[in-house]
Amino acid sequence: MSTIYEEGTLPRPLPVGKAGFRTSGWWGMLALIGTETSLFAYLIFSYFYLQSQNSQPWPPSGLPPLRYAIPTTVALLISAGTMWWAEHSIRLAKPPRLVIGILVTLLLGVLYVILQFLDWKIEPFVLNADAYSSLFYVITAAHVLHAIVGVLILAGMVLWSAMGHISPQRYAPISVAAMYWYFVVLVWIAIFVTLYLLPYISPH
Amino acid sequence: MAVNPTFRTPVIARPTPELRDKLEQMWKDKPGLLGWLSTVDHKKIGHRYIFTAFIFLIVGGLEALGMRLQLAQPDEHLLTPALYNEFFSMHGMTMIFLYSLPILSGFSNYLWPLILGTRDMAFPRINMFTYWVFLLAGIFLYIGFWEGKGTNVGWFNYVPLASRAYDPDWNVDIYSLGMIFLGISTTAGAINFIATAFRTRAPGMTISRVPIMIWGTLTANVGLLFAVPAVSLDFFLLWCDRQFGTHFFDPAVGGRPLLWQHLFWIFGHPWVYAIVLPAMSIVSQALPVYCRRPLVAQSAVVLATILTMVLGFGVWVHHMFSTGLPAVAMGFFSAASFVIVIPSAVSVFAWVATIWTGRPVFTTAFKFFAAEVVLFVIGGVSGFMTAAVPLDWQLTDTYFVVAHLHYVLIGINVFPVIGGIYHWFPKMSGKMLSEKLGWWNFWLMFIGFNVGFFPMHISGLAGMPRRIYTYPASMGWGDLNLVTTIGAFIFALGVLLFVINVVMSLFAGRKAPPNPWDADSLEWATESPPPSYNFAVIPQVGSLHPLWEGRLEEKGGRSILEEGAVLDHEHEIPGTTVLDAEPDVILKQPHPTLAPLIMALLIAGTFVGMLLTMWWVAFGCMLAMIPALFYWFWPNAETGWEIRA
Repeated sequence: MSTIYEEGTLPRPLPVGKAGFRTSGWWGMLALIGTETSLFAYLIFSYFYLQSQNSQPWPPSGLPPLRYAIPTTVALLISAGTMWWAEHSIRLAKPPRLVIGILVTLLLGVLYVILQFLDWKIEPFVLNADAYSSLFYVITAAHVLHAIVGVLILAGMVLWSAMGHISPQRYAPISVAAMYWYFVVLVWIAIFVTLYLLPYISPH
Repeated sequence: MAVNPTFRTPVIARPTPELRDKLEQMWKDKPGLLGWLSTVDHKKIGHRYIFTAFIFLIVGGLEALGMRLQLAQPDEHLLTPALYNEFFSMHGMTMIFLYSLPILSGFSNYLWPLILGTRDMAFPRINMFTYWVFLLAGIFLYIGFWEGKGTNVGWFNYVPLASRAYDPDWNVDIYSLGMIFLGISTTAGAINFIATAFRTRAPGMTISRVPIMIWGTLTANVGLLFAVPAVSLDFFLLWCDRQFGTHFFDPAVGGRPLLWQHLFWIFGHPWVYAIVLPAMSIVSQALPVYCRRPLVAQSAVVLATILTMVLGFGVWVHHMFSTGLPAVAMGFFSAASFVIVIPSAVSVFAWVATIWTGRPVFTTAFKFFAAEVVLFVIGGVSGFMTAAVPLDWQLTDTYFVVAHLHYVLIGINVFPVIGGIYHWFPKMSGKMLSEKLGWWNFWLMFIGFNVGFFPMHISGLAGMPRRIYTYPASMGWGDLNLVTTIGAFIFALGVLLFVINVVMSLFAGRKAPPNPWDADSLEWATESPPPSYNFAVIPQVGSLHPLWEGRLEEKGGRSILEEGAVLDHEHEIPGTTVLDAEPDVILKQPHPTLAPLIMALLIAGTFVGMLLTMWWVAFGCMLAMIPALFYWFWPNAETGWEIRA
């Protein structure tokens, strides 16, 4: 008996393993980013909610200094570019550039974490001063934690690129790691605008 | 001809005994304890979820019976007020978080790959990880109970009562950390379901041929993805307030107690839909089998399911009508709560029409599903009533609301679940459940439930508040409460009969054929119970009802089940495109591994360290996760990495 297969279905050569663009990892990362983005959305919701319910000055103990926040933002924006460049390079079959690109991204990520620690040291308020300061530290710490996870993912990618597990035909793990890093950068923009810029623009 | 190692044309063949042997060798677990701990088989994970969640159902049920004994008559002293607080809080927490979603995850874990015509989920290791985290978080949430340190301010845990000042002991700390812990399982599970639905359906299962059961669970899990962070955050902020003296909920320095309620219900209401939509989809999947016809208006039911979930994110404030919010806000959320009735009613009318136009076979499973329709209508109507702000002011925090939420949760979750077990038990165990015991099981549960819970509407209208440990005889609530208690025990007897039926059938039940109910979906195309590899050859799906083709006058192709892709190089399944389900890759799925268990234990260690404020334990466990994750994700050929010799 001969069986009729619909057009586009089975017998034809298929790639084996982590191939293509929309891999399982791509879907998994998309879903992860969805849930983590909502976490930050709820944090920012809490911030605006408490601000809207407050008749006291907001922020209560002075504006957050921008001395480190602006370099942080620049570093993270550049890191999104280097990440893109790294992924682009492997598509163009230039593995050395891939490793350099990820390494630079990783270092910028580490720089961000250091800058954020310095930023905490110069804030005019402490964690348990009031509701504003509590939220400020929890939001920034949540982001630092996500950035550290990103740095670890990038470290894995450097390692695996160096070990030769990534090729111009198969670079899905790089794309998935890049998605995560773009998410880290985009969330920072939202945090930077909310926590650092808006208080200057519209003092309460 | 030289073979490019990264491309292969799948061999299409009929299953042979040799192929089955080969697949069995590839897919079976290692022997012994190591095999038990390292398995990533979705069927075993499903069994464990269902078993564990059912244990929690029984524990939560015993807590409920304790409360019913205490309330059976006025001025009783069986439980102290403090113990009563723990009982109702643990009961709510257990039923809502440790029973109702995990049991549905159990069904979905077991059934999804079978219904989708494949051999495993998209992320088998994450699948196993979610179970371990669920189990450990469940134990974590119960560790304090025996010492009087179970959570004790109600499952929704309002501040300021839940703050350190009013509840200084570990009770709320355990609840807060345990809920964050459990949220990891829920979220990871949701990610797995989403990737599975979009990635690993059998070739030919286009988006219009996806069975309704998949839609219900998928919709719920997309919702969970966006809802769970709200409650994890809420509990984290509360824990910080209690532990580090932060001020999120402290009105003296800019915090707001209502922030707790907003975040809790932004999560809480979508959660209600997350624990009923998959159960409704069990009914939509299995009820038509006993009506001997396809579900009426399947597309409308799918769209209504999705719409319900979307609207479910816009009704949370109806839990907060009595908190003094602006009238505009209450008007909006009241209207939204009325509107959400419409998509819910679509399912009800579809079920009624399916029964009406079908030829019902009155099996036990059918009775449970039909009862669900009745109870859903009662629970839905009482919910509709409380969507009206003035009526809600009158009824909130009374037994009327208790009656409503139990009609919803038992009616739309427990009844479909028990019916679903009657339906799928033959597939899961290879044995039939006794229909004779089933008759008694059903009627005891149905009558006991209504005798127990319907009078609560009346005691609520008579003004009896929730969460009181006793009441004076002069209130006149004694008779109603006695009836409720009797009903609760009849219901519990019904559940006991169910357990007896399951145990007896496992040992002495009739052997089940592959398709005992003559059902339409793919899980019935393989043996009962299915082999470790599910399908010897991958099915090719041609319609929505692959096993009913030829009887239905439907457009569309024909499924091919007797031959298909062999894929016998280690753990392989086809990856397919989202809309058309055209195969575009051969996925290499992981083998059994201990990595998920190790990760779950490290997370448990972190939370135990946080609870005991032994920071070095928590921090050490977190650091140890780094090598554990590298071990988990280490590239190897068996999971499809490119390994150069």
